[in-house]
Amino acid sequence: MKRAKKKELISLLAMVSPVSFWMALLIALPLIYILGISFCGTDEAHNIVLSPTLRNYARIFDPAIAGIYLNSLSVAGLATIFAILIGYPFAAIMANAKPFSKTLMYVALMLPFWTNCVIRLYAWRTILGSNGTLNFILLKLGLISKPLEIMFTRGAVVLGMVYTLLPFMVMPISTVLEKLDRGLLEASSDLGARPATTFLRVTLPLSAPGVFAGVIMVFIPALGFFFVSDLMGGGTSQLIGNLVERQFKESFNWPFGAALSVLLIAATLILVRLYTASGGQLDDLGAM
Amino acid sequence: MKNKLGLALAIFIVLSLSACANATPAASASGLSGELNVFVWTEYMPDTVFQKFTEETGVKTNVSTYSTNEDLLAKVKASNAGIYDIVVPSDYMVKMMIAEGLLEPLDKPKITNLQNIGQGYLNPSFDPGNVYSVPYMSGVAALVIDTEKVAEDITSFSQILDPAYANSIVALDDPRAVIGAVSKSLGYSLNTVDPTELAQTDVKLALLKPNIKLLDSDSPKSAMLSGEASIGYMWNAEIAICLEESDRFKAVFPEEGCYLFLDNLCVLKGAKNSANANEFINFILRPDVSKLVSDEYPYTNPNAAAVELLPESYKDNPASNVDPAIFTKGEYVADLPASELERYDDLWTRFVK
Amino acid sequence: MKAPGKRGRRERIKNSVSRIFAGLVYLFLYIPIAVVVLFSFNTSRRNIVFEGFTLNWYKELTKNTALLEAFRNTLIVSGTSTVIATAVGTLAAIGMFRHKFKGRSLIDALLYIPVVIPEIVLGIALLSVFSIARIPLGLGSMILAHTTFCIPFVVFTVRARLAGFDKSIEEAAMDLGANRVKVLFGITLPIIAPGIASGAILAFTLSIDDIVISYFATGPSGTTLPLKIMEQVRAGVKPDVYALSAVIMLVTFLGVLGSQIIAYRGAKKMALAKDKGDL
Repeated sequence: MKRAKKKELISLLAMVSPVSFWMALLIALPLIYILGISFCGTDEAHNIVLSPTLRNYARIFDPAIAGIYLNSLSVAGLATIFAILIGYPFAAIMANAKPFSKTLMYVALMLPFWTNCVIRLYAWRTILGSNGTLNFILLKLGLISKPLEIMFTRGAVVLGMVYTLLPFMVMPISTVLEKLDRGLLEASSDLGARPATTFLRVTLPLSAPGVFAGVIMVFIPALGFFFVSDLMGGGTSQLIGNLVERQFKESFNWPFGAALSVLLIAATLILVRLYTASGGQLDDLGAM
Repeated sequence: MKNKLGLALAIFIVLSLSACANATPAASASGLSGELNVFVWTEYMPDTVFQKFTEETGVKTNVSTYSTNEDLLAKVKASNAGIYDIVVPSDYMVKMMIAEGLLEPLDKPKITNLQNIGQGYLNPSFDPGNVYSVPYMSGVAALVIDTEKVAEDITSFSQILDPAYANSIVALDDPRAVIGAVSKSLGYSLNTVDPTELAQTDVKLALLKPNIKLLDSDSPKSAMLSGEASIGYMWNAEIAICLEESDRFKAVFPEEGCYLFLDNLCVLKGAKNSANANEFINFILRPDVSKLVSDEYPYTNPNAAAVELLPESYKDNPASNVDPAIFTKGEYVADLPASELERYDDLWTRFVK
Repeated sequence: MKAPGKRGRRERIKNSVSRIFAGLVYLFLYIPIAVVVLFSFNTSRRNIVFEGFTLNWYKELTKNTALLEAFRNTLIVSGTSTVIATAVGTLAAIGMFRHKFKGRSLIDALLYIPVVIPEIVLGIALLSVFSIARIPLGLGSMILAHTTFCIPFVVFTVRARLAGFDKSIEEAAMDLGANRVKVLFGITLPIIAPGIASGAILAFTLSIDDIVISYFATGPSGTTLPLKIMEQVRAGVKPDVYALSAVIMLVTFLGVLGSQIIAYRGAKKMALAKDKGDL
């Protein structure tokens, strides 16, 4: 019996220690370091110095920085809303399709994502620019008299986010809708509920975990995707991601960048907590 | 899930196959060998130069790029010594990097082509005696105007703060260049740290903000050429390319004085390929090679021997062959301590939000 | 069953509305791709308007060693990370499934972190650790970083497959005298193989197009295709980048088509076999 216990232990160690070490060294340690330096300062030569301070956190309340936070939240929020408005019906269509069309729809949805997303975002410039394809067509048709200014606005950033993250909204919703018990829907309609009522009272509440998972998979990345804001917003509509990037890449202020990151992590954890509290499974976020 | 499985498995196989077909390292024999890791500004050193160097010496070059001096310093400090061999910092950044002990003295006897550089560019104040650096290219940040869209005769930077130019400017995504230009338009130094002066700069920045359509340090000319923007604030070679492309563009050197730069080739401390790096610097200073650079990126070339080889189009282009009077009137950036730089960072954060 | 005709008509309208909606979504997804393909044939170098047709950029592409090398780096980084992450992740998933032990929830928490926190935070955190530990930035640091964010996705995907796994099979084999290693390779792994494969594919998909984490973890020898393209995009895209994207897209498309045909045939065979009662 003792030998069996020992064997059990060896097997456990063999299987679990690689992942434990890896995650401890490359997830736990780096994040602890970030948390640590967020309470440090820098000397005049931009080196990190160990002098406990809350200055970096106080600086976050500077109106300009708070402004970037608000802009970031509104961009990510709008992107999430549009992703739901487009993604939910699309997921519903996909979930109800016949197996062959479902496969086809799935493949066609994922195919663009095998091409580099920077290049696909850049292509939008050609389409939406002042002298772009869209303006060219609209001007020729006489629908507008001067070019629409679409590129390099906040709207363009939102569009870029929706474009990049849409599948992450569609997939979890469609998975939930597929598993939905059709009997419930039929029961609802047999009991005389109109389709709209059935949708609002039955389908929507039951698919809520999928939507919530989608929200997490879209909203959180949208806070940090600095390259989307660079490419689509032309650097004039900056996000938290850009601010963090600038602290590490240009302003040599790692402690301040770390404090901004800690805040981002906190926001994320709150969202995830809400998700699990409402019955969402964490594993669903990672398995597409 | 099953779909994805088949889907990606096939792609994985196809991609792996194409990787194998691809993996043929180019190697040729000569005196030197190994690699050279160059860290340089985007749109600054043409591929042809690297190819030529590899052909002549057999040294393989890896090129990485950055967009601002600060970007360069941050990346060099964050990575360990020996990652990059060659960097191309501007004047003030050379000074900072020397002070931080990041640069290695050059192997001057090897760099015989230093004699090709014009006398005025040698022995600069940021590196007396050119111990750590040799000039690569110089230039200014200035304005380019699309005369088909802008009727006003623009001569100063303060004119572009006019609300008439709402949403029509493309500017460098470079805090020091933009904030500096606005300070200069008020008659202050572009390195001012005076709080009242900076407060006035902040007010003017708020006027400039609605006029900015986009910020782009890497290829601001694209926005001008495509007609996306009608006024541009950018490096002189970008302006020179606009002038070459169309007569509708006009270069304007603001009368308040310009932001000046002299970019330099340096070897980083602990460079693994220090011999290759010195060889490369000497190679770049060769007139025929320096000409290759100017052909592609028409900055003001400090290499007097190369300028002789350059066509009339270089000499006649006011944005390439910049009038020496502009250099006399302009100002170089000074390195600022962290506390002052944070002020600039705050100004910039307000500007881009 | 009231008014079947009306219901049928409503169904038909619903169907066509669905089709139009799905069509519009695909239009949104594919317009930029059409632009990429179209402009890869553009004679203009500055690439702002379409001027004329040429195949020149495809020829140029074969000479653009920097771009091709970035492509090779991408395959090295994504390939290696996928292999390591799949091995580590699969072992972890099985280990955590088989055993209940102290610290299990801690490992779980560490695994969830990279999935939920913004990539940029992980990117800078990894950069700091590389810088402290003096790990040179390059292909090695890229592989470490990519493996780190891939492991959790493998664990979760494999775990999903294990959820339907009958532990008694393992126990039976052990009772018959097979040792643990034999059971693992002979029984457990084959049964969960599809889960491992989809985990690996997910890892590869995420790795091959990653920008944010790579942006911080890269060094001179570790420039992958997305980073190189980002660099070139910033400098104003030259059409050879479009040409490379078009080639990758074509290869992907053919790969997908081929695999779907095989998968479809396989599924058919399986369905037939099932009907006959062979399974």
